[in-house]
Amino acid sequence: MLKPILLVEDDARDLELTLVALERSELANEVVVVRDGAAALDYLRREGEFTGRTAGNPAVVLLDLKLPKIDGLEVLKAVRETTELRSLPIVMLTSSHEEGDVVKSYELGVNAYVVKPVEFKAFVSAIADLGVFWAVLNEPPPGSTKAARRVAE
Amino acid sequence: MGRQGWDRLAADFWQSPFLQPSMNALSPDLDSCASEPIRVPGAIQPHGRMLVLGAATRELLAFSANWTDAAERTQVLAQVAAHVPDLAAGESAAALGTIQLGGDALDVSAHRAGEHVIVELEPAGAGNGTQAPIYSLARHFLPQLQRARNVDDLLAIAVRELKRLTGFGRCMAYRFDAEGHGEVLAEAMDEGYESYAGHRFPASDIPAQARDLYRLNYIRLIPDGEYAPVPLVSLDPVLAPTAIDLSLAGLRSVSPVHLEYMRNMGTRASMSVSIVVRGELWGLVSCHDRATRFLSFPVRAACEHLGRLLSVQVEATQERVEVERRHELRELTFNLIAQRHDLDASLLGLVAEPAPLLRLARASGVAVVLDDACRAQGEVPPDEQILALAEWVRRRGTESFDSDRLATLWPAAAHWDGVGAGVLAISISQVHRHVILWFRSSVVQTITWAGRPYKETRVDGRIHPRSSFESWTEVLRGRSPAWTSAERGAALELRQSLIGIVLRRAEELNQVAAELRRVNKELEAFSYTVSHDLRAPMRHIAGYVDLVLDIEGAKLGDKARRYLGHVKDASAYSGQLVDALLDFSRMGRTALKHGRVDMAALCNEIARELTRFESARTIEWRIAPDLPVLWADPTLMQVAMRNLMGNAVKYSRDRPVTQVQVLPASRDGMAGVEVVDNGIGFDMRYVDKLFGVFHRLHQSDQFEGTGIGLASFRRIVERHGGQVWARGVPDEGARFGFVLPGTLEKD
Repeated sequence: MLKPILLVEDDARDLELTLVALERSELANEVVVVRDGAAALDYLRREGEFTGRTAGNPAVVLLDLKLPKIDGLEVLKAVRETTELRSLPIVMLTSSHEEGDVVKSYELGVNAYVVKPVEFKAFVSAIADLGVFWAVLNEPPPGSTKAARRVAE
Repeated sequence: MGRQGWDRLAADFWQSPFLQPSMNALSPDLDSCASEPIRVPGAIQPHGRMLVLGAATRELLAFSANWTDAAERTQVLAQVAAHVPDLAAGESAAALGTIQLGGDALDVSAHRAGEHVIVELEPAGAGNGTQAPIYSLARHFLPQLQRARNVDDLLAIAVRELKRLTGFGRCMAYRFDAEGHGEVLAEAMDEGYESYAGHRFPASDIPAQARDLYRLNYIRLIPDGEYAPVPLVSLDPVLAPTAIDLSLAGLRSVSPVHLEYMRNMGTRASMSVSIVVRGELWGLVSCHDRATRFLSFPVRAACEHLGRLLSVQVEATQERVEVERRHELRELTFNLIAQRHDLDASLLGLVAEPAPLLRLARASGVAVVLDDACRAQGEVPPDEQILALAEWVRRRGTESFDSDRLATLWPAAAHWDGVGAGVLAISISQVHRHVILWFRSSVVQTITWAGRPYKETRVDGRIHPRSSFESWTEVLRGRSPAWTSAERGAALELRQSLIGIVLRRAEELNQVAAELRRVNKELEAFSYTVSHDLRAPMRHIAGYVDLVLDIEGAKLGDKARRYLGHVKDASAYSGQLVDALLDFSRMGRTALKHGRVDMAALCNEIARELTRFESARTIEWRIAPDLPVLWADPTLMQVAMRNLMGNAVKYSRDRPVTQVQVLPASRDGMAGVEVVDNGIGFDMRYVDKLFGVFHRLHQSDQFEGTGIGLASFRRIVERHGGQVWARGVPDEGARFGFVLPGTLEKD
């Protein structure tokens, strides 16, 4: 079974468009959606409403920068500070390419940084590329299900 | 003792061993003039008698040789001894009444001189009590003094009064200038006397030690210039007569050189009354007569009083005039400063309206130097000379400088042809060359001397006072009227005020800078918000329109599809605008990272890139091989050149062959490049709008773009401290260029 993609997005329209884009990229991965930073951390730590979920990290986290409660950079920081989550691939999605965000994200160890293009076609292809790279092509970190699956095959 | 007996005694005296060689009245030596012991001549004039007492012992120590009767001396001694304790050192002689000696009535006066008491006796003058000359002085002189409006009035009144009191044939008042020359300002005389009004008496006429004495003793009388000195005879073997200080004695024998001076001037009797202002010898009232003129002690006392009253009045009048002038100057300074608030911080603005500045120092020209800039008005030397002079003034390191004959200190000024013969300057900064200079042109001064103002040395090799008092005119050139202390004071006050302004400006600038930083932060926050919040809705519009077209496109009519296409284009374009605005704002906010930028390499690379994008077109690039190497931010330079060259290509797309030249440029010592195209050009009327954000000179359906490229270009160049320019001719082409400071040598 493919590891899911965790999508952290608060804006309903962005969420819908991103899901459409992921759908069009024809990835087989399940997409888990949470709407704020706190829920994202709950999911990753299997806490709160996600206490009972199946163990295992997602293939990749698509993380919006601006989020309610706990913003993207804070989520990123928390992930990098948690031993079991440290090597989780995280792609930061953001509306702009403000330099400060880029520098901070890389300082905190983000794996990729994507400015959502205005044009929808460009957006679809960006999302598709991301999904393919991180969920399919990228060598999964130890403990992710892909490695297990390869062994199983 | 008869006159003959005195003369004999005098002759003995001059041969006595007490005398030092230089005191020999018959051969005054040139060198002796300045060192002559005028205070301790050891002799008196013969018209009176003198006793010298020990102040503590009240014993007789010495007497004048014209007083042989020991019994008389003892009688006088007994009479004055009681007064000795009342005599204070430094005070002028006190009248001790009249006594009868051998049938003569004699006025007795006494004063302290160190350890000695000097008692002087002279023939009694007429009039005592309310008849005393001092009362007549109070009646006549004081009311007139009060009415005097200025110093000239005061002096005119004083010479008239002095003449009335003493009967001297000519009384004249003169004031000493900075160099010690005396200028005659008032005169009263009998017929037949030569007038010296307006003449100058050279400083050398009155040696320094005589001036000192005039300051101490307000009055000096020589009733008969042909007199033979009467020596003092000491009763104490240890006390030399030349050790007795006669500074304040009315009978003091004067220098033989002075007596020769009097003879040369044709004067038998002379008197001088000092005018002392603020402790300095300000001037003299000098009286002459062709005949002998004996003045009694009461008359002399009245004259001395007149001198003191005159001194007080001159001082008060001068002070009043100075206060008025200072007040006027202060008002001028205040007005000058008040105007400063409206203008920019630049001192250069001071000369825009030069009248008050000129009036402040009564100058004919004024210049303000601010580092390498110079603004001058009125009669001034050439700018580069002013700059050099300002530098010289600054290097002196003083707050101010002034001279009424600049060429003697600054030889270059000699070639200014009379302009700026005098200069008054204030240096406003210790570090920078910030100098204000006032110039006065030279005036030809004609000075009428009372005789050639040079001492004569004759063949006998001895000093003689000048023998001629004929008017002698001297013409002085290369000098301006002297700067007064009030003008110097006003200039210094202006300097203080300007420094105050400069300091306040600095403070204000600091505040503005702080405000700017705050605004910049706000702007940063604003553009961040724009980037996120404005970009998202654009993305949504574009996204949903695309989805609608994708999913329902086939069912829509052509019109609906076209409309949705417009919505999509518009949202995409809005997104580009937002992105461009963000880029532009980032360009202003990020710090410059300077490096070596080889413009030839950069331009060739951009040209290759642009050619690749426009592969369908024919573009002829002519990039000069000698483009400069600049010291600039390489990334920003790339953006700037991409904008310029991209524009050149874009606006010449209608030409069959696009020609773009990139040429080296230079301006104001800076280097850069210029891009020339053969495109549609522009109307120079709109050149100012060209560099504004979102300003476009062409319809957007004609040429795509956000209207931000040239604004970015200018912003980049200005952040480097450079200049931009644009030239265009409609339908012929455009040239855009820039220069930056900091060119590097090409390897």
